Amino acid sequence: MKASKGILGAAIGALLLGSVSAYADTIKVGIIGPFSGPFALQGKNFQAGVEAYMALNGKSVKGHDIEVIYRDLPAANPAQSRALAQELVVKEKVQYLGGVYFTPDAMAITPLLKQANTPLVIFNAATSAIMTQSPLVVRTSFTTAQTTSPLGKIATERGVKKVISAVSDYGPGVDAEAAFKKAFEAAGGQVVEAIRMPLNTNDFSPIMQRVRDSGAEAVFAFLPSGPTTLGFVKAYNETGLKQAGIKFFAPGDLTQESDLPALGDGAVGLLTTFHYAVSHDSPENKKFVEAATKAVGGAEQLSFPSVGAYDGMHVIYKMIEATDGKQDAQKAVDAVKGLSWTSPRGPVSIDAETRHITENIYLREVVKGPDGKTFNKEIQTFPNQKDPGLATQ
Amino acid sequence: MQVIAQTESVAAAPSTGSRWLRDVTGVILIIAAGLAGYWLFPDNLALLTRVIAIALLVLSIDLITGYCGVATLGQAALFGAGAYAAGIACVNGVTEPLTLIVIGAVAGSAAGLLMGTIMLRAHGLAQLVLSIAIVQLFHEAANKASAYTGGSDGLAGLTVSPLFGVFEFDLWGQTAYLFGLALLVVVFVVLKFIVSSPFGMLCRGIKQDPIRIRAMGSFVFPVLLKMFVISGAVAGMGGALAAISTQVVGLDSVSFELSANALVMLVLGGLGTLYGALVGTVIFMGFEHIVSSINPFHWMTMVGALLIAVVIAAPGGLSGVLERISGSGRGKKGGRA
Amino acid sequence: MQTILSIAIDAFAYGMALFIICIGLSLTMGLMRVVNLAHGAFAMIAGYIASYAARDLGLGYAVAIFLAIIGTVIISIPIERLLYRRIYGKPELIQVLMTIGITFCVIGITNYFFGPTLKTIPLPGSLSQPVDIGFKTIAAHRLFVMACGGVVAGGLWFLIERTDFGIKLRATVDNAAMADALGVRTQVVYAISFAIAIGLAALGGVVGAEFLPIEPYYALRYMVTFLVVVSVGGAGSIPGAVVACLLLGAVDTTGRYLMPEFGNFFFYAAVIAIVCVFPRGFFGRAQ
Repeated sequence: MKASKGILGAAIGALLLGSVSAYADTIKVGIIGPFSGPFALQGKNFQAGVEAYMALNGKSVKGHDIEVIYRDLPAANPAQSRALAQELVVKEKVQYLGGVYFTPDAMAITPLLKQANTPLVIFNAATSAIMTQSPLVVRTSFTTAQTTSPLGKIATERGVKKVISAVSDYGPGVDAEAAFKKAFEAAGGQVVEAIRMPLNTNDFSPIMQRVRDSGAEAVFAFLPSGPTTLGFVKAYNETGLKQAGIKFFAPGDLTQESDLPALGDGAVGLLTTFHYAVSHDSPENKKFVEAATKAVGGAEQLSFPSVGAYDGMHVIYKMIEATDGKQDAQKAVDAVKGLSWTSPRGPVSIDAETRHITENIYLREVVKGPDGKTFNKEIQTFPNQKDPGLATQ
Repeated sequence: MQVIAQTESVAAAPSTGSRWLRDVTGVILIIAAGLAGYWLFPDNLALLTRVIAIALLVLSIDLITGYCGVATLGQAALFGAGAYAAGIACVNGVTEPLTLIVIGAVAGSAAGLLMGTIMLRAHGLAQLVLSIAIVQLFHEAANKASAYTGGSDGLAGLTVSPLFGVFEFDLWGQTAYLFGLALLVVVFVVLKFIVSSPFGMLCRGIKQDPIRIRAMGSFVFPVLLKMFVISGAVAGMGGALAAISTQVVGLDSVSFELSANALVMLVLGGLGTLYGALVGTVIFMGFEHIVSSINPFHWMTMVGALLIAVVIAAPGGLSGVLERISGSGRGKKGGRA
Repeated sequence: MQTILSIAIDAFAYGMALFIICIGLSLTMGLMRVVNLAHGAFAMIAGYIASYAARDLGLGYAVAIFLAIIGTVIISIPIERLLYRRIYGKPELIQVLMTIGITFCVIGITNYFFGPTLKTIPLPGSLSQPVDIGFKTIAAHRLFVMACGGVVAGGLWFLIERTDFGIKLRATVDNAAMADALGVRTQVVYAISFAIAIGLAALGGVVGAEFLPIEPYYALRYMVTFLVVVSVGGAGSIPGAVVACLLLGAVDTTGRYLMPEFGNFFFYAAVIAIVCVFPRGFFGRAQ
């Protein structure tokens, strides 16, 4: 068995090659995201947001060069997440951690932050509870409760009294179901039935049959963006629910821009609430979309995680500015508490208490543009929404 | 029993003395390699600890696939049972690491007993599919019982007390790694004893020809079931180690993907030697880590190419190649199906 | 009653879609004895070709299907020659290693060249509109999928049971050396069977794209489903595959209607129950 040591040694030797020596005045930022695998699109959008920010705002702050190191975490995997974070902090000596698409991955990093003296800026992971795990976490995305809650009022305003809720059976889905139920019932509506669908559902016609049988006037849906969304919206059209006048409400994950070409005309008329639409009309967004499209490599691939990453980089830049390149996690986080700026998505600020982003939530309708392509059109604004999930705790 | 790859080297019955010598050397080499990893990569200990936890899982597959000829794509059910049992115990106030490992082992064996009872009813492909169905059911159950397991958000908030009251599980992960290494070595030594015991020999016999073993008057089912329980204990300890060192347990620990990856690592390293399991795990995870650091976007192609290359160049698994190179010549390649 | 009927028709459509995608894998696993985990990868390649032909070139749906099948088979020829030839007759786990490797490569390459977005294959107007069949409206393409499934099942049965090639194939499967000695060119038989299996994967990928959308991760995302369906039916058996697809489709659909939150429990519990009663699958060969 001498040789087994040889191969171990070889592997170990090869690992060494991966290390990079640190430059004198370079501040490193480690970004963890799903850059390959089933969620590669979202990871790519992280990268696009980061690169867009650096292209528009320069690659240095107060003379400190910024270097970004990407690490791939293809699916929710807390053990790997922790290993990557540890490597970034201990070996690559990053001063800031960013990214993180899934909640459990964020949960695995939070216990490290204090010892690592490193803030974590979350670009996506959308469960409220993450923020309570460590005082060194800042989040620039949204929570499911935050994007969902306005739907309660919207539905009743449109004369809908009875809704059936259909969500994917996992954490964010359950959050969405609860948030919608609370908001809708507060507005005087009634959730007649709540369905939880397994994540790997391929054929949604039986669900649509349930919707039809329930006698509800509208369906509230939450599914993770991607292939399942396509199946769900297709089934909604094909089973004739749309013609029957049953309305469709959902948080914007369902109609993310990169899925719209696949959804086609079937998506027209869907009402979703979200913090960002690529079509948002503002000079900031124009600049952002231009830069991010270049970075992501095609307009059809641009989606909401890019704006979370863009604003995440903004927060990290402000932190570097405040600490002037010295590693002081608490000071960095304190510096961005209450920070407000104009993001591509509209005016936003970091809540001083929860460290979660306060932002506008928009009601959007999928419409067909003059070029025949569908897009999310913002038709109503709910300004300065905080995370109701954190407020109630 | 046809789904089994019989690619391992069948020991040409060397004398007991030389086998002893070889195994002692092997264990010393594992310890040496582990310590070398500790000194050479002080900055990557969390990764190395994860490698050890997965190595335990791969070892547990080797026990039932390599030694008993029962292929499984659901071993993560046992790993996850251990991880969740340790995690839930830890959240509820049992924070002593060694106790948690024992809890993981017990939960893993219980899951192994259940899994073995179901899986051993079928053969071949059907058996493989049963293993898939079981791991998917475990996954669903863990997702459903979110009040206890945290569901897809993961079970967070594990605070493990220091090992022996002294060594903390911290950011740098030295405690976790050395603890894991010690656990791996102990488990490995015990498994070496088990597989070379009469019981282990009986398992190999069953793998080669269950009918003949039956004709010789042995019962096949209880022997294999016993191995399932042992395998469950090993996988459960791996899960518990992962839970202790990560402080979060996620649904990925009971996933089909983890099971399939672990089986790939085992075949990569070579079946039925225990060493192959370790070699396969280290090579696969090390390679994956390197290529995904170099190019986080498109590394999957490289891993695929590695697997193809191994099949073309070394169909007996990497540990087979090592033996050929080192010329230690543990008997001829045999038992090709 | 109306509900039962409409669930039944949904279940039938889903089962048929599964059948078209899985039957090629059943052939490779049962007749050629290759555990081809890369099956989905070929289906996905076909999906990309069809999407390119129909959406970017604006060709018709039928032409797109045809091009996808031909294109995928052509792509598969060098892969068969260089890689699959090495694993015929090898232990199954080695085949698993090789075909997973191929799957990873295909996923990586697709992601690199075509990006991670969903790809659609636009349906012609006649297939995309809902059709009223009395007790419910159903998408026309679902009827098309059912018809395709019937044609594929019938055609394969005829090919294997009633033609010269079928006799040679069965002889080769039962005893390759003996068939070779009797003048059957087994290499050719294998090559043709492989091409047929790949062609079926391609057809399934394109026609089934309405159920299982085309994206780079397709091959791994649905691998479990394919494996389970094939094994429950008994690898290599066409009636077995039909029964398994329809039954599992029915369990899946009904489960998701009655108790969606326990849909997966129903499905896998049914798999365990079936396998315990039929340990070799419905029509599996005794080995």
